[in-house]
Amino acid sequence: MNKDLVSTIADLNEQEALKIVKDRLSAGEDPLKIMEDARKGLEIVGERFASSEYFIPDLVYSGEIMKLITELVKPQLTREEETRKSGKIVFGTVRGDIHDIGKNIVTFMLDVNGFEVIDLGVDVPEQKFVDKIKESGASIVGLSGFLTLAFDSMKQTIRAIEDAGLRDSVKVMIGGGQISEEIRKYTGADAYGKDAMAGVTLAKKWTGVN
Amino acid sequence: MSEFTINFEPLGLRGKCKNNESLLECARRSGVGINSICGGTGACHACRVQVLSGTVSRPSTVEYKVFTSKELKEGWRLACQTYPISDCKITVPADSMTTSQRLQVEGLEKKVSPELPFQVYHVKIAPPSLETPVADADRLIQALNNQHRLRCTSVDIDTLRDIPGQLRSWNWESQVVVRNKEVVTILYQKSRQLGLAIDLGTTKIAAYLIDMNSGQTLAARGIMNPQINYGEDIISRINKVIKSSEAAVVMQRLTLDAINELSADLCAAAGARPEEILETVVVGNTAMHHLFLRLPVKQLAFSPFVPAVSLALEVRARDLGLNIAPGAYVYLMPNIAGFVGADHVSMLLATDAWKAKETTIALDIGTNTEVSLIYGGKITTTSCASGPAFEGGHIKHGMRAAAGAIERLRIDGDKVQYQTINGGPPVGICGSGILDALAQLYQANIIDNSGRIIDSHPRVRVHKGQREFVLVSEEERNGKPAITITQHDVRELQLAKAAIRTGIQILLDISLCSEDDIKQVIIAGAFGSYINIDSAVAIGMMPSLPLNRFQQVGNAAGMGARLALISTRSRAKAQAIASRVKYVELASSPEFNKVFVQANYLGPYQITNK
Repeated sequence: MNKDLVSTIADLNEQEALKIVKDRLSAGEDPLKIMEDARKGLEIVGERFASSEYFIPDLVYSGEIMKLITELVKPQLTREEETRKSGKIVFGTVRGDIHDIGKNIVTFMLDVNGFEVIDLGVDVPEQKFVDKIKESGASIVGLSGFLTLAFDSMKQTIRAIEDAGLRDSVKVMIGGGQISEEIRKYTGADAYGKDAMAGVTLAKKWTGVN
Repeated sequence: MSEFTINFEPLGLRGKCKNNESLLECARRSGVGINSICGGTGACHACRVQVLSGTVSRPSTVEYKVFTSKELKEGWRLACQTYPISDCKITVPADSMTTSQRLQVEGLEKKVSPELPFQVYHVKIAPPSLETPVADADRLIQALNNQHRLRCTSVDIDTLRDIPGQLRSWNWESQVVVRNKEVVTILYQKSRQLGLAIDLGTTKIAAYLIDMNSGQTLAARGIMNPQINYGEDIISRINKVIKSSEAAVVMQRLTLDAINELSADLCAAAGARPEEILETVVVGNTAMHHLFLRLPVKQLAFSPFVPAVSLALEVRARDLGLNIAPGAYVYLMPNIAGFVGADHVSMLLATDAWKAKETTIALDIGTNTEVSLIYGGKITTTSCASGPAFEGGHIKHGMRAAAGAIERLRIDGDKVQYQTINGGPPVGICGSGILDALAQLYQANIIDNSGRIIDSHPRVRVHKGQREFVLVSEEERNGKPAITITQHDVRELQLAKAAIRTGIQILLDISLCSEDDIKQVIIAGAFGSYINIDSAVAIGMMPSLPLNRFQQVGNAAGMGARLALISTRSRAKAQAIASRVKYVELASSPEFNKVFVQANYLGPYQITNK
């Protein structure tokens, strides 16, 4: 039965998935367990996306299914359970760049995998990243940029984090467009992810979540 | 044994047709490329031609099905089913021509009456003497005043250096070229007056040598833009310039060398000399424009994406290093905004789209696709990053349109019928073939509307962990690797298709205009001229409109450059167009993500209310 929810979500079967959730809730099952299965289903969606089997619209659709499931399960969760997240991540598209489709995919996948994502949007100035890191106490920063020119903004953002004395308290990942190991070195980031799943893997590694 | 002469229009090629030979076979032997996907069996209907005069065999049963009785009366036939019985004159429509042939007839021809940016005066002056020891140039200027009532105020310095020698060797008789009261050049009395129009594309440079007085194109040629070594797209080139100012100098040099070489070649072909070129017009996107002039580009690539200049410019050719007549000028058409540059203005000018009374979409498909919507007297324009997929880039077996590329394709049950450029064995697939493949796979339900390859067709297989559709198998290629469309290829194509469709859709949305309101769609550019509109509509890249609302116009940007070259009135229009256009930055539209996600689906675009 548990496997059913995982696979129906993985197969993007909205009606079936919602029915299973309702049945399991009325059977009095632990809501956290249901959410965990839903996350597993979305993880498979993410894997299928990474292998080109699924595409952007599929991912967006899976997000909509997840939203509906959350709405069903949420009333059953205690406040503490609801906010139990694996770690805080400040994320944004760097200054000068306004592309956010890639960034939205990563933040979605991170959210699904239990991270609390603070999304600063696009064309984000260096200082805004610094302020948000201070304010939230996030331990991970994600810098996104599609334009090759965004690499300079990434470098400047990381320098600003360093100047604010925060560099040692955060891990920085970069992604988007044609990022490589050379560019990671150039910007001074800790790591780069070539797709959304790579970003999730990094975040899990850094926070010690399995 | 009887033999007939067949005249193939508009190519103007003639061929001898043997007895019992079909028009298609005769065309092939005569070097006329007519599409034939099925190999002449009457199955594909790709070889439509029109018989203008002469007697041919009666229509076959197939042809009665394909054509209406009206069409048959007008002489429409399938070349593979038609056998001449007398000398004939045949029209091969652009749709039925293979790619290599279409390059030669490409571009819409348009006439404007020349209104030149300079005037040419025939002047004969008296030799100097001890009684009137007046300077050579001064006597020339006096003569212009006396003989033509023209007050010139200056003489170009290089021209000045030539004047004493030339006037003496030409026996004091010459043609004087005057531009804005300046003597820019003097010419031998029998010299021609030529102009050079350049379409400076990111990938290709097209050059046209024009007779300034008749507007006639004397020679035309296209080459690859040598800047490609600095990156395939404009962003990577701009990035190189930001990293090193030397790159800006080198890239400008590369383009100029290429243009100088092109102009020398064109002049050689027309029996002329580059010094007879009295004016040059250059159109390109904003990045190409800036790199050509070595203007700063950094601000162009960062939000809010502003050019250094949008106004039209006139620059002395010598200052750029362009080898044409001494003192002659280069006119640069105005840019719009962002990356939408003079080439789009040029296209709007050449196609008259800018003054269309009916709702019109005009677009130029390339690595960057510019789209304009003309609606209710307003022009809105945007630029979409469609990427190189339709030029064969990032596609596993993709290639540019060259010999051996699959350019047309049809899936018929378990079989794939295709046609290659030049008819040889297939080596890869080019843009128009890639588009056909996507449409055919979708229509045959081999991929679903989300673009996923479904494992239900004998030609679908898994290769290295990825599904792919086999177009030409290893066996069919005698052991060479199969030519396939992979799941990843489909994704790349979806992104390209979605980018273009998002551009169109956002413009429609902000103008509160619906798809059905569009009365004409003008598609310019090399790729856009060769594609099957059917396929583009089937996958939803183009709006779902009747096919007769689409026009494929070839290199309209190059055409606009030619108009601006010989007509100052066209230049004024270009400036008016550029200042009327309202530019929309796609990614900053609040609806962008929603529309883009929706546009990723294959099939007609569905308006969502979510």
